[in-house]
Amino acid sequence: MKDQRVTRIEDLPGPKSQGELEEMKMPYEEYCRKVFAPGQEKTKPESLKGIRWLSTTMYIFTPHSVANLAELGAECIKVEMPRMGDPMRHTSPFNECYLYPLHDSRPMTGTGLGFTNANSNEYYISMDYHVPEMKEAFYRLVKLSDGLTECYRPGTFDRWKQSYRYLQELNPRFIYVWGGGFGYGPKVFGGSYDILGQAHAGLASVTGFHEDFGGHCTKHSNWCIDWYSGTQITVAILAALYWRRKTGLGTMIEFSQVQAATRCLGYGVPLYGRFGIVRQRWGNWDTQLCVHGIILCGKSDYPDEPNPQLKYEARYAVVSAFNDPDFKELCAIIGRNDLWDQYKTLQDRVRPQAQIAIYKALEDWAADKTRSQVVKTLTDAGLLAMPVMNDKEVYECEHFRQRGTIRWLDDPVFGDLLIQSGYSCGLMSKTPRRVNWLWRPVGADNVKIYHEMLGYPMSKIEEWYEKNLI
Amino acid sequence: MAKKVREVEINSREDTLTLMGPDVRPWPVTPPPSPEEVAAVYARRKAEEFGKWCEDNLRIDYARGKPEALQGVRVLSCGQWRMGHKFAAGLLGELGAEVINVEPPSGDPLRKLTPFGREEYMLEDKNGDKCGLDFIHELRNAYSVTLNLETEKGRELYTKLAQHADILIEEYPPGYMDNLGIGYRQLSQINPRLIYCWVGEHGQWGPMKDKVSKYGQWMLDPFGQAACSFIHNTGFPEDLLPRGKGGDPTRSGVWFADYVAGEQTAVNALAALFWRDEFSGEGQFIETTAAEALMDILDFDITWYGFNKSIKARTGGWDPNLNQYAWNPCKDGYMMIGGQTDRLWYRIGMCIERELPIFGRLIHEDPLLKEMAARNALQALTKTYTMTTMWLRNINRVEAEEKLMQYEIAAGPLLYIDEVAEFPHFKYRPWVNVLEDEQYGTLLYAESTNAYQMRTPARVKWLGRPLGKDNAEVFMKYIGLGQTELRELKEQGVV
Repeated sequence: MKDQRVTRIEDLPGPKSQGELEEMKMPYEEYCRKVFAPGQEKTKPESLKGIRWLSTTMYIFTPHSVANLAELGAECIKVEMPRMGDPMRHTSPFNECYLYPLHDSRPMTGTGLGFTNANSNEYYISMDYHVPEMKEAFYRLVKLSDGLTECYRPGTFDRWKQSYRYLQELNPRFIYVWGGGFGYGPKVFGGSYDILGQAHAGLASVTGFHEDFGGHCTKHSNWCIDWYSGTQITVAILAALYWRRKTGLGTMIEFSQVQAATRCLGYGVPLYGRFGIVRQRWGNWDTQLCVHGIILCGKSDYPDEPNPQLKYEARYAVVSAFNDPDFKELCAIIGRNDLWDQYKTLQDRVRPQAQIAIYKALEDWAADKTRSQVVKTLTDAGLLAMPVMNDKEVYECEHFRQRGTIRWLDDPVFGDLLIQSGYSCGLMSKTPRRVNWLWRPVGADNVKIYHEMLGYPMSKIEEWYEKNLI
Repeated sequence: MAKKVREVEINSREDTLTLMGPDVRPWPVTPPPSPEEVAAVYARRKAEEFGKWCEDNLRIDYARGKPEALQGVRVLSCGQWRMGHKFAAGLLGELGAEVINVEPPSGDPLRKLTPFGREEYMLEDKNGDKCGLDFIHELRNAYSVTLNLETEKGRELYTKLAQHADILIEEYPPGYMDNLGIGYRQLSQINPRLIYCWVGEHGQWGPMKDKVSKYGQWMLDPFGQAACSFIHNTGFPEDLLPRGKGGDPTRSGVWFADYVAGEQTAVNALAALFWRDEFSGEGQFIETTAAEALMDILDFDITWYGFNKSIKARTGGWDPNLNQYAWNPCKDGYMMIGGQTDRLWYRIGMCIERELPIFGRLIHEDPLLKEMAARNALQALTKTYTMTTMWLRNINRVEAEEKLMQYEIAAGPLLYIDEVAEFPHFKYRPWVNVLEDEQYGTLLYAESTNAYQMRTPARVKWLGRPLGKDNAEVFMKYIGLGQTELRELKEQGVV
């Protein structure tokens, strides 16, 4: 029992010990380094300890919604079709790059690099849901889990008696996510991919160079919209978990990836609604700020490298000087004070004709310089500029190395792997994200889940395997 | 019935702006498909019952009658210029959190930004202040208060507000808040349950941390996009378009890296909230950056470099991992076609072959294209897309879509924003929606992605907010400042 008359140091705000006092006095950077402590993730607790999630997903979009949970410490079980596995296992850049060992679904090759990062830390089981014989096992899993993410065409799981209509009867706390292209409505059965989302949602129409400059609508590299949409599902899942703590009730979340790409269009949608103006592409410049764009420099940073990505492409720099004094200084540096005289306010500078003139002057100035020279000249003058970095430079970048966002992982199956994911989604001081393993072969954890968790005898599991059910 | 003829004189484009408003040309221009038409779609696949169940349980029309998932969570959002903190707070606000957006008395500079400096595209609130559309669209369900953090009194009030917050999302240059004595180090002493998120471009510590110019200008997106190889990888290669004329590394048309950082901030904050409430009762410090959050979602690019020193190159509208999976030009724009597994890939071919028999001979019968993974080799992509474009170039998007849909292929036209707003599925859901805002009138906006849920759907209640509109209420409620005191603070330039 605490004596109310006594003031204890631990009840007062402020540092409680010598260590904490030192922490308060530390230079800020040092303090950040100390609290985030890259490399020490495994000594700290997991945020989502105790949550179990099923992932009956394929490709990138819906798997990523679960990978986020798995990185945060939830126990996630990925369910794949026996022998086949996730189609993403068959994708690899230019068919060049596979990780081994072999597995029974693809006797000639390993798993393609396209499968990377979307299903980290999960347990891998296989199951053919079509077959009534497997229904009971699936229902057992549902009863033991907090939720599920699926991506089949709408109505498919309903036909197999495993949609939310059925599952909420088994487990009222169950949170059910359907993720796909469209959802209820006229295009309900339309399939979707990342690239369809980019195309349909209007994002592609505003990315790339305008046709007057010779350009086409441009795809965001990689499967950005898949990943980006998947993370928004995770937001919904975590909110549903928060609400379930209060009410004990699960829910069903229907998430459409095509819509998610429209969500990030910013002023594009209200501009059309109010003024009937359809936003167009504006290349590497910014529609609202100038100077704030990417310029081409004349010389490569790596003239003698054989790789064309270094020899020819390492020539672009971001230059940003949109505030008045910054722009004035920039004009002085490139010897074009006339531009400052002409465009003294942001409103003047950002007009299309002005932008064309200003960026032309910048590229003329940079025509006899390398990208590094351009960046160094500007940053030495106290302005903001940086090179457009390629994969090599990102890999070698000391910044990401110190922050632990790019690091080598000694994967239990594949050995040394360079990973860029998981740790880079954000640093957390007390319950950091972590990557335990990248992936495992199809059905690698069948025994662990079917036998150890659900209690099926080994003979049953062998029988299922023989019959191609798992 | 003939419509009333209006007398209009148009001398400049400015005169047309008033002719385009939502009163004159309401959205949608043509009505969305009727429920009966959609019911017929469900019936075609024998999913009438399931379709009806979805409509009854998930339709956005019923969202307002349902509870909010994050009711009772209080979020303080404090930043300028960038989208990260606004998107993070917006996602939480749409799900029911109470969001208080703290701005300096001069306002977030993003309020003043408008495409190509055109003030006529800004909207006026009831005080007569103009605000840019980016800010209005991205600040969702948030109260607006002003505080001058450069003053002692401002910092004191900010600290008192933070005492009431569950989540604080801050986006200022590295160490700025800490220097002022209101960073995580100090606030966590006063409110140990506080979940403190910092959002930025490269980081608040480390050799490449965020900088401000010597005149105080901030780093904004695309500094995040450039630092993770996204820009290097995006765009058309010089082999397809000349350099300087589209064949260059390309940034996203929007501040995409900021959005990605924003959503990961929301994920981390909610996970930390779960851990706080379920296990520990403690808050924590979170840092999310645009460069790293975007790097997280660049597939395997850096991993690939680690594998064999490959530096990913640009591939335009194509994808080096999947065939077919690209948009290619057709008569009136671009048509996206996707289908990788044998089942889908041959279906695309069957559709094209009907009108272009040579496609079957050159593509289907090519032994090098028989195996799914082998079709990703560069020559295989070139050959497949050349032949596909031979078919596409003679037809329009809508024709191509109709033909491909007969084979149930994931295909669709590349749409511009006006077409997006009128696309039947977008109108039916609706994914772009209208809101009669108290301040800004009728707004067309991109609907919340989490609005389609059975029990706790997200919702957009208002967009944007006049600067400092909620000063009186928020400061009274959480700090106990009365009218008189508030007026004094205003004179001192604190609010």
